[in-house]
Amino acid sequence: MNGLLVAIKSEIFVALRTFASKLIVTAPALVAATQLMLVKLTEAGQQTRDSILGGGSFEQSVANNAYGFFVDGLITGLTMLGLLLVAQGAYSFSYDRDVGSIRHLLIRRVSRSSVLTAKLIHLHLLALLSVLLLLTTSYLLSGMLWEYGAIVEDGFELISEQEIREEIGLGLRLALVPLPAAIALGLLISVSTQSATQAVTTALGITLAIDIFKGLLGDMANYLYASFQPSLIDQSYLQSVSRIVRGYSDVLIDDSVLQLNMWVPFPALILFFAAGLWIVQRRKI
Amino acid sequence: MPALSVTGLTKNFGTFAVLDNLNLQIEKGSIHGLVGLNGSGKTTTIECILGLQTYNSGNITALGQSPKQLHLTKGKLVAIFDSPSLHPNLTVRQCLQHALLLCEKPARSAWEIEKKLGVSRFSDFKIKNLSLGNKRRVSIAQALLGDPEIVVLDEPFNGLDAEGVDDVLELISTLNRDHGTTFLLSSHQLPYLEQICSHIAILHHGKITHSDTISNLLGNTQTTLQIKTPQIEAASKVLENTLGVELLNIDADGYLNISISDSDSIAINKTLVENQIPIAELILKRASLAGLFREITSEEAK
Repeated sequence: MNGLLVAIKSEIFVALRTFASKLIVTAPALVAATQLMLVKLTEAGQQTRDSILGGGSFEQSVANNAYGFFVDGLITGLTMLGLLLVAQGAYSFSYDRDVGSIRHLLIRRVSRSSVLTAKLIHLHLLALLSVLLLLTTSYLLSGMLWEYGAIVEDGFELISEQEIREEIGLGLRLALVPLPAAIALGLLISVSTQSATQAVTTALGITLAIDIFKGLLGDMANYLYASFQPSLIDQSYLQSVSRIVRGYSDVLIDDSVLQLNMWVPFPALILFFAAGLWIVQRRKI
Repeated sequence: MPALSVTGLTKNFGTFAVLDNLNLQIEKGSIHGLVGLNGSGKTTTIECILGLQTYNSGNITALGQSPKQLHLTKGKLVAIFDSPSLHPNLTVRQCLQHALLLCEKPARSAWEIEKKLGVSRFSDFKIKNLSLGNKRRVSIAQALLGDPEIVVLDEPFNGLDAEGVDDVLELISTLNRDHGTTFLLSSHQLPYLEQICSHIAILHHGKITHSDTISNLLGNTQTTLQIKTPQIEAASKVLENTLGVELLNIDADGYLNISISDSDSIAINKTLVENQIPIAELILKRASLAGLFREITSEEAK
């Protein structure tokens, strides 16, 4: 335990003083913020044109609900975060091995399994900070640029704010569940490859390959942790939430898919991490 | 109990045996040099000792721990590698502060060790911006922040200037004398090893062929006097008849090589002068580790 604490302290010490960790924490929020501002700029142009030509409809007012943009910001940020985490997971161990700094840890204070566990914990901390920053930025910026409110049609409240918040909460939880598995996949690739460059390219390649294949697998894709993660080919529930909170869809998540979303990523995490531990015990460092 | 013990260590890369039943005992408080030709397995031996590589068979213990459990020594064993093994994006001071995290009981402050190794003026420089020599100094500095009982150094003099070598030699000597620190040094710089080591182990073809104190190893080798003179045959006769010295040979460069003990050189010089034999050069070639090493490796090659 003492060794694990030393390893975590060491990870945090280096993270606070290097760029990569700061990038993971801030980049998703910055990209989401940029997206929201660009959308607002485009929308302002559109509104100006509509007001000159005469217009303004129900659909527009519904679509302008800040909740929709808030969810869009989350989707973009989490897509980026997923890629960053798998890449950083792949980079972390292999880079330390490339520069040799991991040797000092292993010889002096920390077992190999503790080093890998510390990296897993550290990446989770980064993910947590990144998600908190993303949530805060997207929520505040969406609120500044648009207005939060219920979905109302012809004076009838279709979806209350409470229901919207609950759906967003569920969508966000389900989108976050696969992230630990993505981190563990990155670490598994990190301990298996020969260099940091090879690790990062392999990790991103595999992630993109999974993304492509999940579209071809049909229902079988629900047994793949990455199917529930916001990604370039997005099948996550958060994507559906984006439509629900705009009043475009009332299709809620199927119970069986919800269960798979909750439980498939966890064994994937265990499997990837156990394989990583097995490999790290046996390879040259 | 030795500080570090290796028995029957065998390591194969495929069908090639890099280390073949290697045995090495390092006593507490000794400075043990490990020498060998390129590819003889020095770094592999060190990596096996440090638990960074697996091995096929054998038994290794350092401070009572197996290589996989070295971390349980809690920094009592430290290593300095051929490459600096530092985070390139940290500054020198940050690297030392990071190393302090790994010390259970830091024996000296980052500032103190920076000063001792002459890197204090670079303390705000990032590691990636330092020269190789200075990176090595920082690498040594961070290893010595704690109070290690064993220090393993793989090629510690690579990239160091003369001043740096002197600093490292002095530091090793001081830590060994004042704190009883045990050192295992692997290097091709045989004169430095000869200067600092109490013991030498020669690694050849995956085995330790010789391991003893320097004085015992060099005691078995001869000191040679090389004489260059235009009257080489006359000089040979005079020395054989007058002093009964052992004439080794006349080499291709025309030097008369004589095996002597150090004290004989004065008598030889005096005898040649008295017999009016002109001397162009008189070179005393003392027994050295380099000479011994060449002798052993060339014999083995034959």
